[in-house]
Amino acid sequence: MSLTQFIEDFEEAVEDVEAGTLNGATNYRQLEPWDSLAVLTVIAMLDADYGVRLKADDLKSCETLEALYALVQTKVSS
Amino acid sequence: MSGSILVIGATGSIGGAIASHLPTDGFEVTLSGRSAEKLNILSIDGAEQKIVADLSTEEGRQALVASSPELDGVVFAAGVAPLAPVRYLKEVDLEACFQLNACMPLLLVRDLLKAKKINKGASIVFLSSVSASKGAVGYAAYSGSKAALEASARCLAVELAPKGIRVNCIAPGMVESDMSDGFAENASADALEAHAKAYPLGVGRPQDVVGAVSFLLSDASRWITGVTLPVDGGFTI
Repeated sequence: MSLTQFIEDFEEAVEDVEAGTLNGATNYRQLEPWDSLAVLTVIAMLDADYGVRLKADDLKSCETLEALYALVQTKVSS
Repeated sequence: MSGSILVIGATGSIGGAIASHLPTDGFEVTLSGRSAEKLNILSIDGAEQKIVADLSTEEGRQALVASSPELDGVVFAAGVAPLAPVRYLKEVDLEACFQLNACMPLLLVRDLLKAKKINKGASIVFLSSVSASKGAVGYAAYSGSKAALEASARCLAVELAPKGIRVNCIAPGMVESDMSDGFAENASADALEAHAKAYPLGVGRPQDVVGAVSFLLSDASRWITGVTLPVDGGFTI
């Protein structure tokens, strides 16, 4: 798993985000397409593709994609 | 009211509320659940028997059927609700959902009928969901399994009518339960609030479902079979 791959997976999950426009410093919760469906979809993507079960509150606890990636990594390794 | 009722999924929020209520209406209840730990801590006056069984397996079903008394009613309150948009729906979750929500109830009824454990004039009640008839993001697996259950229940109602056995479904809306806790974990606060506003009478409690179940088990509903009764605070109006 790499941050680059993680961002690509995130972009694909959220949709309506142009591929390649996000980076580790992006505040994903301020993206225009970030709504309740995006929350649900990212949680499902992380479960299906990374085997990581996050809650909606976990997504609220991070701001940047880099921080979210770090959180996912801790769950993968645990 | 009287009669011997088997409650499947008695350790869940709704199943537990049903199991607790039925003795107060005069029923004798046998409780079944997958977790021995959860089943053993259930303290219900009037509970005749507790049977630990994993009904996803043939062995589990046979063990339950062998231990079960002759029944005047069966309530199926076990279920799972994987929450995922179809793009990220896991095959294992889809299969488990249909297995527990749609296949297991039919297989268990089959096994109970073969063992002649369901008396003439009995009533079978399946816990379905408003999701069976109304689309919701992330619920394709769950909704499909409950729609399948309702369709099967109608066929079963016709098959068993000559024996006076009635088969009906209850379709609850969102109640405060283990399953809705799972929804809350995956949904944003805004989505939860918006969903709750869709209930004219507000979000329900497990206790709000038990009266309808008791009615369908009782002789008061002796001319009702093959229906799905919404118990949803007006959600599907």
